[in-house]
Amino acid sequence: MQINSTKTSQQGYDNVNHNQTRDVMKTNSDKDNNEQLALYMSAVANYQDKRAFAKLFAYFSPKINAFGHQRLNQQGLALDLVQETLTRVWTKAHLYNPDKAAVTTWVFTIMRNQCFDMLRKVQHNREDSFGDDIWQLFDSDNAQEDDNDFMLSASLLKHVDALPPLQKQVVRGIYLQELTQQELAEKLHIPIGTVKSRLRLGLEKLKSYMEQAL
Amino acid sequence: MINFHPDKQMLELHAQGQLPLSLSIALSAHIEYCGQCQQQCQQLTKALSVEAFSDNSAPAQQEQALLDDLLSNMLSDIDDLPLDTGINLPSSVTVTVKEKQYALPQVFRQQMLSEWQGIGKVSRARLDTGEGKARASLLYIDADGEIPQHTHKGTELTLLLAGEFSDEFSDYKPGDLMVMTAEDKHSPKTKQGCLCYTVVDAPLYFTKGLSKILNPIGELIY
Ligand SMILES: [Zn+2]
Repeated sequence: MQINSTKTSQQGYDNVNHNQTRDVMKTNSDKDNNEQLALYMSAVANYQDKRAFAKLFAYFSPKINAFGHQRLNQQGLALDLVQETLTRVWTKAHLYNPDKAAVTTWVFTIMRNQCFDMLRKVQHNREDSFGDDIWQLFDSDNAQEDDNDFMLSASLLKHVDALPPLQKQVVRGIYLQELTQQELAEKLHIPIGTVKSRLRLGLEKLKSYMEQAL
Repeated sequence: MINFHPDKQMLELHAQGQLPLSLSIALSAHIEYCGQCQQQCQQLTKALSVEAFSDNSAPAQQEQALLDDLLSNMLSDIDDLPLDTGINLPSSVTVTVKEKQYALPQVFRQQMLSEWQGIGKVSRARLDTGEGKARASLLYIDADGEIPQHTHKGTELTLLLAGEFSDEFSDYKPGDLMVMTAEDKHSPKTKQGCLCYTVVDAPLYFTKGLSKILNPIGELIY
């Protein structure tokens, strides 16, 4: 789905699943609901649109609050979960990829990960955050493509060519020719482990380029 | 080809975020090796998200008031929040034991390893998961090493991370995840050497939910 202007996304606002429009929702499919939510996501991602964020908040906050009550057993913590989750929806909105997951699944993932860390605090008095390491937010749909869900931006592309030749070969093969790691291993006659390690090294270099650019 | 997978209940608890850290690490690592369980976990997560977000009823007035306050607070601060740069690239996570370096699954990126300790061919490094009775560690067995036949007082989870080992029942490959209960008796041995992640003595509060991990386990004696 492509959103080309704020106008398009704002026209969609009035269909949103709100209490007043629950009847509309009933006739809409989950798919429509998800598309609606994805429109808001894209307005938040592209324009930091607070009105769209408020819509997402209206949709998700009571549900996250209920989930938090169930898991965390405390009103205060449930509200913290709402805040932590929706703060991340705002700060990560530009990373959401509608082709990979429904908005609801993506938000659920963020919520579950936050909840995991909060439970550790409650149960073990540990202030750590493992949730996002255990369930990485941007899992691809296909296990074969583990490492491939990292999108190469135009600014990164020029750095790819600056990589050492063996790493460049692998990074290009995976991201530009869209080969699987297995296919690439066969094509280059190298073990898949070597593909993985070259890819990691290459991506780490790209990451450091990115960090320098920021 | 991975032959030993977590059972369905364990996978479900994992997708729900209901397993303790020590076991969540095992599942996450297995999933990094296993496309089949990765897909199942994604499907479970999708189903759970539908379930969690399906109730469209309005919250009680009091709750709604709290949420309204929260929204207005958030909206006034939100412009100051730095956006996530988001490139959560895979980084290489490695561990070195007896001068050998092994790549570890991403879930081990926050290394919490204590020092390696061991006698002879068997070395162990504890992971501080802060879970009291759950003892999570990396276990390394040197080439041609063997662990004498033993039983487990309770339950032991083993995930093979590198190398191979075999016992009376089977040969195991990286990614294989086994849960051994008190009745199981075995004497694993390895030709090439192997690196495993093990959890013994799962925390009591989770034992109810796990069909296989019914008994809190005592110390595993190697
Ligand atoms: Zn599996």
